[in-house]
Amino acid sequence: MKNAGPEMQVDIGGLIIKNPVLTASGTFGYGSEYVPYLDITRLGAIIAKGVSLEPRAGNKPPRIMETPCGMLNAIGLENPGVHVFIKEKLPFLRQFSVPVIANVFGETIDDFKRVTELLSESKGVDGLEINISCPNVKKGGTIFGSDPDMALAVTREVKRLTDLPVIIKLTPNVTDICLIAETVEEGGADAVSLINTLTGMSVDIERRIPHLANVTGGLSGPAVKPIALRMVWQVAKRVKIPVIGIGGIMNASDALEFLIVGARAVQIGTANFINPSATTDIIDGIEDYLKRHNIDDINDLIGTFDEEGKAC
Amino acid sequence: MNGKIVRNEQISAGHFLLRVKLAESFKTPMPGQFVMMRDPGRIDPLLGRPFGVYGFERSQEEVTVEILYKVVGKGTLLLSKLREGDFVVVLGPYGRAFDTHPEAGKVVFICGGIGVAPITYLAEHYRSLTAARDAELICYYGASKAENLVGIKELKRICGRVITSTDDGSHGFQGLITERFSADISLYDTGSSKIYACGPRSMLKELSELMAGSSVFCQILMEERMACGVGACLGCTVLLKDGGGRGERARVCVDGPVFDIGDIHWG
Repeated sequence: MKNAGPEMQVDIGGLIIKNPVLTASGTFGYGSEYVPYLDITRLGAIIAKGVSLEPRAGNKPPRIMETPCGMLNAIGLENPGVHVFIKEKLPFLRQFSVPVIANVFGETIDDFKRVTELLSESKGVDGLEINISCPNVKKGGTIFGSDPDMALAVTREVKRLTDLPVIIKLTPNVTDICLIAETVEEGGADAVSLINTLTGMSVDIERRIPHLANVTGGLSGPAVKPIALRMVWQVAKRVKIPVIGIGGIMNASDALEFLIVGARAVQIGTANFINPSATTDIIDGIEDYLKRHNIDDINDLIGTFDEEGKAC
Repeated sequence: MNGKIVRNEQISAGHFLLRVKLAESFKTPMPGQFVMMRDPGRIDPLLGRPFGVYGFERSQEEVTVEILYKVVGKGTLLLSKLREGDFVVVLGPYGRAFDTHPEAGKVVFICGGIGVAPITYLAEHYRSLTAARDAELICYYGASKAENLVGIKELKRICGRVITSTDDGSHGFQGLITERFSADISLYDTGSSKIYACGPRSMLKELSELMAGSSVFCQILMEERMACGVGACLGCTVLLKDGGGRGERARVCVDGPVFDIGDIHWG
């Protein structure tokens, strides 16, 4: 019987996915890397590693550094460019009948527009996630996602050029993430995903040098989860579009916390590195939880957080 | 998969020999491949640690992997405190293995410090590969001091000759192992010689200078910090020279850890 388990299907801004567990961009390559280690057909969707208009070599090593309960990365968005992505990476991803969401970033609004057009024309992707955590080279390097006007402009331009569902991925390195979330909602975003990594650093005290060649890097892993959860909770109360929770989700319990505070879906990132089958383990764990609580449909769980509730 | 520690013993100051019992389904590692290991009970340290395989046995009763490691940081320090019966997560075997040549005449191994571990596994493989004839297995092994020449007995059992160097002269040649090797380099300037090396980056870089322009087969095993071990995170990339054929950068975890020495751009 196909419907023996609870209903896991969710709608993330017009993209219907069979369960709410996605891979976070940059942690799952272009899918092929993980094929030997899990059944990727079980995923809700795959969010591929970010692509830019032109290929990028990324940063010099060292690019990663472990920190307590987390890791810093400064990969520098290394990628082969959107043309190679469409020609060589997408055909592989398409064969699994799992929705593919391309992650897009750029250094100018024109970059975002061009990549959006090319991906939309390719007919090979089911949605776009727009990474606005990168600097706008035409505006003195201000991060798109930390300036409401720029975040709005990117969202509007991308939406104007595509019929695909558009998810805007938000940076937590801002004063008020809710303001940015509301702004991109106004710009027509179909969903928001948060959080991208928190900017951090680490110092080699013996040599008095940075542990990362780039000096700063993005912090991910369990260390960021409480912050991510707080932001998802706040944003979910402020916007009507679906919120996708990301940040240090290592297991089903972590994922459930995000769903309960209002995330329509979750992305699994750093956990893939230490457990290649983390995503499918989390899907199983969520199903078990729903069964245990006699919940027939996951949508009856999402956003049911009782913040007045007493832990008596 | 979870593995059960059957031995985790200090064999010299700061050096440990770990033996882990694995499920039968664990694939036999090829020489040069590595495993990612972590303590399943912890999220700090979070990431697995890559270790070159030192030994592997598959018998009717059990499958075990052996890791020879040096305590260098938090991950290896905590690993050294695990005891017989404790569990570790072991993923792998990962990475590109050494290319081996059954017809080789002289097989030369060059190792520095803990680089001896994957080299020993390779040497053992070569010994069985060339058992039918008398290929010469020669190992150059350098360390800071005599007591850090770990596993040397085992190497002597496998290789016909083991030539050592130490920084302080407490064993063998005083100086770097690459200096000692360079004195003999003309002995191996033939097509039937195969050279393999593993050690600190500085050692491999010096070796690349010694081998520059040579057509003798030479492969090295490189070490980098890793997160995923499977090619997804791009955390462990190294620069390739033009014409390396695999693009400007290569991932140590899947394009390596074994590389042809001439492919690496040392920067």
